[in-house]
Amino acid sequence: MKARSIELPLFFVRRSTTSPSLLFLASLPIAVIAVFVAVMIWVSFQRGMLGTPGAVYTLENYLAIFADPFLYRVLWNTAVFTSTTTVVALAIGLPIAWLAERTTIPGKTAIYAIMTLGLLIPGIYTAMGWTFIAHPRIGFLNRWLVDLFNLQDAPLNIATPVGMGFVQGLSLAAVVFILTAQMFRAMNPSLEEAAKVHGLSFLRTIHRVTLPLALPGILAAVIYVVTIGIATFDIPAIVGLGNRVYMLSTFIYLKVHPQGSGLPEYGITGAVGTCMIAVAALLTLLYGQVLRSGHRFEVVTGKGYRPALIELGGWSAAGWCFIGLYAFVSKVLPLLLIVYAALTPYFAPPSMEMMRHLSLVHFTNMEWGLVLRGARNTALLVAVVPLLVLVFAFAISWLVVRSRNRARYAIEFAAFLPQALPEVILAIGALLLALFVLGEAVPLYGSVWLIAIVYVAARIAFATRALNGSLLQIHREMEEAAFVSGLSTLRTARRVLLPLLRPTLLSVWIWTALLVYRELTVAVFLGVHDNITFPAVIWSYWYAGGMNKASAVTLLMTVLLAPLIAVFWWLGRRGQVAGQ
Amino acid sequence: MSEQLKHARLLSLGIFLLCCSSTAAFGASATLTQMIEGAKKEGVLRAQWSQNTFGGGEGFNDFIAGMNKKYGLNLKGQFTPGPDMQALMVRIAQEAAAGQPASTDLYMGNAQALFDGLKQQVLKPIEWGAIVDRRPPKDGSFDAIAADGTHMAIATAVVGIEYNTNLVKGTDIPKRLTDVLNPKWKGKIASTPYAAGLRELAMPGFLGREYVIDFTKKLSGQIAGLIRCGEAERLTSGEFAMLVLTCGGNDATVLQRSGAPLAQTIVQEGTVLHMRYAAIPKNSRAPNAAALMAAYWLTPEAQALLWKHDGLDLHLFPESHMKKDVDQVRAAGGKIVINTPEWLASLKGYAETQKELEKILREGGK
Repeated sequence: MKARSIELPLFFVRRSTTSPSLLFLASLPIAVIAVFVAVMIWVSFQRGMLGTPGAVYTLENYLAIFADPFLYRVLWNTAVFTSTTTVVALAIGLPIAWLAERTTIPGKTAIYAIMTLGLLIPGIYTAMGWTFIAHPRIGFLNRWLVDLFNLQDAPLNIATPVGMGFVQGLSLAAVVFILTAQMFRAMNPSLEEAAKVHGLSFLRTIHRVTLPLALPGILAAVIYVVTIGIATFDIPAIVGLGNRVYMLSTFIYLKVHPQGSGLPEYGITGAVGTCMIAVAALLTLLYGQVLRSGHRFEVVTGKGYRPALIELGGWSAAGWCFIGLYAFVSKVLPLLLIVYAALTPYFAPPSMEMMRHLSLVHFTNMEWGLVLRGARNTALLVAVVPLLVLVFAFAISWLVVRSRNRARYAIEFAAFLPQALPEVILAIGALLLALFVLGEAVPLYGSVWLIAIVYVAARIAFATRALNGSLLQIHREMEEAAFVSGLSTLRTARRVLLPLLRPTLLSVWIWTALLVYRELTVAVFLGVHDNITFPAVIWSYWYAGGMNKASAVTLLMTVLLAPLIAVFWWLGRRGQVAGQ
Repeated sequence: MSEQLKHARLLSLGIFLLCCSSTAAFGASATLTQMIEGAKKEGVLRAQWSQNTFGGGEGFNDFIAGMNKKYGLNLKGQFTPGPDMQALMVRIAQEAAAGQPASTDLYMGNAQALFDGLKQQVLKPIEWGAIVDRRPPKDGSFDAIAADGTHMAIATAVVGIEYNTNLVKGTDIPKRLTDVLNPKWKGKIASTPYAAGLRELAMPGFLGREYVIDFTKKLSGQIAGLIRCGEAERLTSGEFAMLVLTCGGNDATVLQRSGAPLAQTIVQEGTVLHMRYAAIPKNSRAPNAAALMAAYWLTPEAQALLWKHDGLDLHLFPESHMKKDVDQVRAAGGKIVINTPEWLASLKGYAETQKELEKILREGGK
């Protein structure tokens, strides 16, 4: 069923587009993002220690990045890494989403639980876990293969762009799952049923009907994962840096945190970031086109729709084997590693000898002052950021979907921009802004609010994507009726739209909260003293070689996060969260 | 008469010297009293350095307790793990330029970072002689207390090759630098991204630039990766068999106590002493408390705490554990370079050589 488009009377159009409150709310995060980008561009024209007389304006940063053959190698590595990440994430996330939404496979709540758990485990542990599996020298799988086939060299190596992409893909499969599950849920089954009636086999139906119908949603997920893949930091840092395999994110990190001689090259980072705006613009346009194609494919149906599920029968066991294998290698193994590392005095491959050293020393000696400071700041961020994201994203989505103003394209572009920019660039923009522009007039430097502002800016893209889709599904007649009944724009939003959007809003809230809870890059760049977060505490231990202490804090963090996950499951069972 | 005059002169000289020393003692005592009063008003000491340095938060709490007891204070300490030494100094300089208070009231770092800080003029001169209990003896021309009072050496780390004792045993333990180029170690060893140790060995009067550049090129083809000095768990896990060279073998000393298969060897060519310095940023919020903690670090009890938490102390003191390592190298005829900001300032081409070494190590890979 194609969504009907009704031309609103001018009165309604004006009412829905000129609300100053909504316009203000939508403009605020956009202005912040614009300022961050402006700071980054300003920085890209400077060299030397910023803020000191040693800093000079120059074009050298741009010349340097284009003349640096090392950067081209880095870009190639990043392309291979991102492609592998995307393929692996899709190959795992997509089938599981399809199984969860379009089939009769049992235990769907458990599937959602498994996929959500992925977000609890920091990427550094997935990386370390896979180091013990597939590292050429200490990976047990490699040792086993070498012994079994009498090989000279280890056949697997995760310390390559492809290897790291595989590990990253395991992490991002959960994101693909979340992005595509809702699409499978909303997919009109009548075309599949028609294919079945016309005698197409199951596989041919998947190939000829299901996949083409899902293509816009899959492409949207691909773009989303690609942008994350380009910007991701933890796995390239853990596996790549030590093995001299550099990605764009680690290249930027090294420019800002030179490990040795020289000052931080913020200018180079700014120049790379400025170039990435072009990439972000391209991806935004592509994303918009994909969404528009989505409407042509007519996959979104209206009210009264009930999906027809595919009877799996005995294939359910195969489906669960696939999910179980994924859960084991991407979740259980790293989680076991965390427990093991938290209980051992130093880091070494599991052995009977090490089992004799197990103790609770890292828990009894835990620095509670620091841990509680981190927990308090993270709790504050989890409480505030998702709410702000929802408020701002709702205002933006409203303007983008409901208004006819040409400015909506600019707003949509600006809202998506942070998704395509590495968070580190936003963080650097915020840091320099707080230090050298705002200064003492607005004392944001070193405060948790600076981190909150960057988090809000960074998460707006995800939230607006979700809300745009949901707003498109709500017919304007509802609002028109409210307007006719005399409700103001804000009251219409509160009384009509918000209840209808509740599942999506809850979904966005919980996902934003989870992502804020585990976010590391921005927290590390902006953390000073009083604003250190829980993940930054873990990072500080890990970075200083305290893998075991870091594991103990991670375990604590996972246990504390359990209630949030419980809320998610509870809401999911009540059908309040989109996608469940 | 002349005898009486002689006695009278000696007596006068004695009285004069006594007065002078009393005045100096009074001056020192007055400075110390002033600092203690200042520290009482400051109330809180915020510190930041790497979590694996000086015992991180656990070590800091012990230092706070010790200095509170020594100086009759009731200071609260707040430790936050921070970035590496150079990065923290850059941050302090930026904060100073922006008119913000420093991330850390008390800076603790290496010569390279101090050198950067001195160039940016962000360190506050302190009259260390007036507040330390015991002034460390000199080592040749090396004085632990900088002439301009901007920094003071508090501990010594001795550079060498760190190795996993399960993987490197007996005659395999390198004795000379070139031993690590043995083909059997290809793809099994690591170096640091900042060419620790190598950059100092490349200076004139040690192994020289040409020799070390050539060695580093060979080493770059030999290593499997680059790790930071604090990442000893990548040696204990067996991912790498050796780290060539370290920033100091103190993490091996600490981890050995928990049974980790880790040790450090010092090569026959000699070693570099990576000094750890204390300094007070000009934008410190608690300069008095910070200076008192730095002075406390030179006391025997604090030196013992440094050994307990970080496996190092200042080699200039007779009771020092690090002194034994240094004496051994000297006894074997090995050269020793003490890395100080003044030494770095005196060198020509140090920064360029370091950059070249870093590039060779970094781009020897993919």
